Amino acid sequence: MSAHEHCPTKKEHHAEARASKAAAMAASAGEPSRPWRSLDEVADTPEFRDFLEREFPAGASELREETTRRDFLKIMGASVALAGAATIPGCRRPDHKIMPFSAVVPEEVIPGKALYYATSMPLPGGGAEGLLAETHDGRPTKLEGNPFHPINRGKSSVWSQASVLGLYDPDRLMFPIYRGAGENRVAAWDDFKKWAKDHFSKFDESRGRGLALIIDKRSSHTREAVRQRFMQRFPEAVWVSYDATEAMSHVEGSRMALGAPGREVLTFTDNGRVAAKVIVSLDRDFLDHADPAHLPNSLGFASARRPLTTDDEMARLYMVEPGYSITGACADHRYRVAPSRIAGFAVLLARAVLRRIGEQNAGPLAQALSGIEVPAGEDLPPADIEKIADDLIAEEQDGARRTRVGETLILAGPTQPPAVHALALALNQALGNIGRTIGFMPVNEQEAEASLPRLAELARAMGAGQIDTLVCVEANPLYNAPPELNFAEAFKRVRHTITLGCGASETAAASEWSLNGTHFLESWGDTIAADGTVAPIQPMIAPLYGPAFSDIEFVAMLADPNAGIPHGDLPRVDDGHRILRETWSRLLGQNVSGPEFDRSFRRALHDGVLQLGAAAPRPGAPAVNFGGVAQAVAQLRVPAAPTETSLDVFFFPGMLGDGRFANNGWLMELPQPATRVVWDNPALVSPATAARLGLLPDGVKADLSNTYTQRKYPSGRLATITVDGRRLEIAVWVMPGMADNTIALQYGWGRKAAGRVGDGVGFNTFALAPASGSRVVRGAQAAAAGGFYPISSTQQHWTMESRDSIVRQVDLAAWVKHGDAPPDVHRDYIYNTKQELKFGERVGHSELSHSPPITNIYPHPYMADRLDKPGTLQGRTDTPEPGALFARGNQWGMSIDLSTCTGCGACTIACQAENNIPIVGKKEVQKGREMHWIRVDRYFTGSVLDPGEMLHQPVPCMHCDNAPCETVCPVNATVQGPEGNNYQVYNRCIGTRYCENNCPYKVRRFNFFDYGVTKFNGDYIGKETIEAVAPNRGGITGSGAHNKVNPNLIPPRLREKLDQIERMQKNPDVTVRSRGVMEKCTYCIQRINEARIEMKVRGIFDAPDGFVQSACQQACPSNAIVFGDLLDVGQGEHPGSLVRRLHDHARSYMLLGYLNTRPRTTYMVRVANPNRGLVEQQYKAADAAGDKALAKRLKYRLQNMENPFGHGAHGDGGRGDHGQGGNGHSSAGDGQMSRSAFLRDSAKTLADQGYALSLRVLGSVM
Amino acid sequence: VSVIFGKWMNTLPTLAAAGALGGFISVVGGFWYWATPKFWEVGYMPTQPGGGFNHQLHAGQLGMDCRYCHTNVERAAEANIPPVSVCYGCHAENHVAHTAAQTEKTEFIRAAYTADESIPWRRVHKLPDYVRNFPHDVHVNAGVSCFSCHGQMDALPVVSQRESLSMGWCLDCHRATANRPEAVLVPRERVTDLVWVAEHMQNVQRGGDASVPGFSARAVFDQLRMTPPENCGACHY
Repeated sequence: MSAHEHCPTKKEHHAEARASKAAAMAASAGEPSRPWRSLDEVADTPEFRDFLEREFPAGASELREETTRRDFLKIMGASVALAGAATIPGCRRPDHKIMPFSAVVPEEVIPGKALYYATSMPLPGGGAEGLLAETHDGRPTKLEGNPFHPINRGKSSVWSQASVLGLYDPDRLMFPIYRGAGENRVAAWDDFKKWAKDHFSKFDESRGRGLALIIDKRSSHTREAVRQRFMQRFPEAVWVSYDATEAMSHVEGSRMALGAPGREVLTFTDNGRVAAKVIVSLDRDFLDHADPAHLPNSLGFASARRPLTTDDEMARLYMVEPGYSITGACADHRYRVAPSRIAGFAVLLARAVLRRIGEQNAGPLAQALSGIEVPAGEDLPPADIEKIADDLIAEEQDGARRTRVGETLILAGPTQPPAVHALALALNQALGNIGRTIGFMPVNEQEAEASLPRLAELARAMGAGQIDTLVCVEANPLYNAPPELNFAEAFKRVRHTITLGCGASETAAASEWSLNGTHFLESWGDTIAADGTVAPIQPMIAPLYGPAFSDIEFVAMLADPNAGIPHGDLPRVDDGHRILRETWSRLLGQNVSGPEFDRSFRRALHDGVLQLGAAAPRPGAPAVNFGGVAQAVAQLRVPAAPTETSLDVFFFPGMLGDGRFANNGWLMELPQPATRVVWDNPALVSPATAARLGLLPDGVKADLSNTYTQRKYPSGRLATITVDGRRLEIAVWVMPGMADNTIALQYGWGRKAAGRVGDGVGFNTFALAPASGSRVVRGAQAAAAGGFYPISSTQQHWTMESRDSIVRQVDLAAWVKHGDAPPDVHRDYIYNTKQELKFGERVGHSELSHSPPITNIYPHPYMADRLDKPGTLQGRTDTPEPGALFARGNQWGMSIDLSTCTGCGACTIACQAENNIPIVGKKEVQKGREMHWIRVDRYFTGSVLDPGEMLHQPVPCMHCDNAPCETVCPVNATVQGPEGNNYQVYNRCIGTRYCENNCPYKVRRFNFFDYGVTKFNGDYIGKETIEAVAPNRGGITGSGAHNKVNPNLIPPRLREKLDQIERMQKNPDVTVRSRGVMEKCTYCIQRINEARIEMKVRGIFDAPDGFVQSACQQACPSNAIVFGDLLDVGQGEHPGSLVRRLHDHARSYMLLGYLNTRPRTTYMVRVANPNRGLVEQQYKAADAAGDKALAKRLKYRLQNMENPFGHGAHGDGGRGDHGQGGNGHSSAGDGQMSRSAFLRDSAKTLADQGYALSLRVLGSVM
Repeated sequence: VSVIFGKWMNTLPTLAAAGALGGFISVVGGFWYWATPKFWEVGYMPTQPGGGFNHQLHAGQLGMDCRYCHTNVERAAEANIPPVSVCYGCHAENHVAHTAAQTEKTEFIRAAYTADESIPWRRVHKLPDYVRNFPHDVHVNAGVSCFSCHGQMDALPVVSQRESLSMGWCLDCHRATANRPEAVLVPRERVTDLVWVAEHMQNVQRGGDASVPGFSARAVFDQLRMTPPENCGACHY
């Protein structure tokens, strides 16, 4: 593994690297030439090289460090003894029982076949996703987007994909618990009903005075119906629809500008044409899963950013943001601006735009704008803003100016005050966008009301002892109420507290009555999506821990004076199904028992969407009231840029929302898009700010000339952040691309009573949240608190070492100029052949940009004698002859478009759910043992202090036709299938890990312990034994509430096996892998086989495109992943499969194709659409300011904007300062300066060339 | 001088070699014979509830079709064991039973039906867990008879395993189908006609005339574009 220790040439290389590093750093201010993943790579220390060259990170194959050899032997002895006992009955074949149905047989159930039902998932704070639930024998195992639902259109988000795990959460509330009068006992629902009937009838006299209800905010008709019932019985009760992470500024802004609250509906494309050609986003992360419309936004934005022909238009995105969001990663121009200063950007932009279109059109707004003082600063470059304004007004096309009326979009984000939102709307009006690229859905007052002021009011009343009974439904204010409210104190002064929830919560743990609620997959209800679509929630399974009640059933129960009385034959009024039917019949104006409603209802359950006909809400295009906006804008104050002593802090919802997903291991272990951090929510600061505040990790020099942490595993420095007297000790993660003097904090972590997964993981940043509900706080201080905190990040895992041309990107101009050009005839120096290269293959380093030519094709060993035609080899060619279509089976392939990939991670979670991929925990991730089959690599370009762009690249198994893994497996456990899949045969694998070592893409995962079948964290077998091995050290996750010992120190093989309940989530079509076995992406072979069986049984021979979808493709919100049959070539009117067309597309290239691996998964070159005029101007400014590194970068970008191929085919390592290859600013890297770990390593290149040659030789003799 | 090593000892190496060889052969041979699925699996006959379902009586004497109970065999991967309600369809009180003994023997069906509880049948044919994909529907629709894997089930009073169900056995049949479809495939409508199939297969095995009037296995094989898979990913993933 650490071969370099025995290899003198590498040692020399390290020495050389060290020697040249200082000089290089000084010369270039640390600006690396190629996309980079982490600060450590830029620093390129020998330790980091060592890390890279290991097959797995250091220590990956050791046990826990605290386990000594003697302890290990002790444990082993015990295991052997147990195993011996266990094998005795193993001599006999175990008795397997088959338990068929009995008297009652569900008609539609066919054992072994999955059934799909439509349902929907309410999103936190409003909005919904329409889903299809895959159920196996009555248990939901996987959720997919519902193709009929206009929000999803078959796609799904990280949250909806992960939500199925919440159903099987072993720490859910399972039964009512009563704590009161010195008691703490498990109770029954009947106890509660009896108590509640007496208790709530007391409020009938007082009309509900002294009664308060906090419920999570949702948009739903049934929710509103039960609210009305409740308020009818208790008119003076307090009802708070609470969302801890809500940002109401867009609603307030629309109220100011439009007179009524509205929710934006964005249009990116219209009839296949790009509708929004220039988008300016003022910290609006419209692609993030926290935006209820992010799925249609992702789909629309992707279609506006996918140039397939050279005539295709492409949207241009300007992003102004303090953090690094996935929307920012898609931006063509990105400005790092502190959140409080973005208003200044908006003001300057508005002035510039209004000046161009005539200020008289905007009425009093222009005057109000001119009155605002915007303190100048580097973060708000006026010249750039003028250029952006130019771009918003008109474009230069063939020398003529073409106006852009109605073709632009100005968006404001949740960190911005309402006035900025109003200003953005006014700009949209002035630019003619309203009704064209942006429309508004009406928002009802319930939803438009900010809940935090209401909660504050309630907390005051509670503190004053005015509240007798507090009911919390699916809400957890004890955890996430802002600290200023003193909610915990006030809570104690409430006499009776009742909490209903699905998951365990801090509030439930402190309540008098803690009641078990239902998951949305167990209940009836309905949702209203961001576009107004009404969808049913229908139960897939009876409550796992029944009896349990859903939110609407519970509220209806409270609202019913007869609750608890047996209804006899009468239907229960608190039956969710009944509530739904009644509510919908009223909504449709149909008789609830009539056949007409029955038809509509059944139709809605089938489709997952309620057809509202003419009553369906449609986005409107109200006119903006400039006077109102002017009034609001006049109040706007733009502060000077934050300083080291007065920092800006902003909050974002991140993976866990308001904390409700904290016990969801999938979301915990999903690398967060920008930071790739897992199992933590460290405070994010920019490198410059971290250096100034002394918050850099251990061993990192303040001038950033050395950024390797010197520690075995990455760790951050602990810091104390102080805001308005509120303090929080939190680890710091240095995040390039952040605005300086700004701290980003993620909501939802640091739970104390979420369960064994979420407890104590991360930091509760609600401790700093202001009572106003604002997402931004100014005037914060941060100082090192002393000590370090280990942070797991996957950013350096699975790197493709020093190889070339991994992420490729060009500018639109280059694509337009060269996309249609005939393939370049390329002379190959290794093989001495001539070869035609496509556009995508020419972008990159000549010899190393493409696969070597095919000179002969060796026959496939399988059924070589039964091939119909030459050239249609089973799996060994992707260029079948026309007419050989479907001759024998299919050849599967995949294409991933880097232009549209946003890096959201939905593919990773979808794959995890589909393929039974376990989570491994924080410490295991540190050691590089994460099991995700599809990872998303993140790269930066530019310098550490001011990165140019963030690039995302999903990497699953490439299913190479010439797979390096296959040749090294001693037991043939990985082999090529006749349809091109690279099989991994688990029952053959003996765990040598040679394949992983030989895989250039690093896509294979080794199951070191029994991750798949043991509890992530919980009780362990043989506690006494383990206590001796791993005494309770408190531990970073501090799960002491559940475990005496630190769970991180217990080998998973000693953990308890999964509960029956937890096992129910597993997909029965995929093996749950045991330890000691390699695993990797299978192209979802279970789906392929299922489809093949379906076709065979039904006599279908030609699979239509899309008949088989891989899980990642199905989930991908931007359609970046395409999977299908490569043999489905176009013929006549038949266009052929999409993946075939994309493989043939000029933009496609093979990742590391020069290794002659012939991957089945190809990539599409990312296309950016920068504003040339703006880049020119930035270059001039940088040049004038003497920023040599930036000027150089911009100069290369300009030079290469239309010429992505560099200066001909050199193909050797000596590129020097010529900037050849790549387009100067990213992609293949231009070798212009400085060393970095990713700078081409000439020894590696030679080795690769030799390797390719050897494969070639082997290939021709075989 | 006493001879420590007698001349007879010269044969010792030969004897040792022969012994080692013999030992080796018996170990390998013994393993070959006794440690294989063919030895261990074939004939497996667990005790079933109620004495077991008498296939000989129901499918043989009464002539009930396999699909009367195994309803999903043509449309799902699993050939389902019937729900108790199917048994009860005939074995309700005083329905088909003629003698008191018969009534008593089927009492457990009515008890299970009344209580709406499963009858815990013991599984006889079981593929290992790492076989993720064995679709009954594809095989039956292709014309592979029940007989090919389960033997002449309609002659068995108590179900037992007739074939080894090992991977080699699977592959043998897949290869045989590709080489000589008529040795494996039968007309679609004869798939469950075990008496006919048993006779036909015996005939085929004896090298007799394998042709069936009006049926060409090769034509069906080509028409359905059969590719009996021999690759790992067809079953293991």
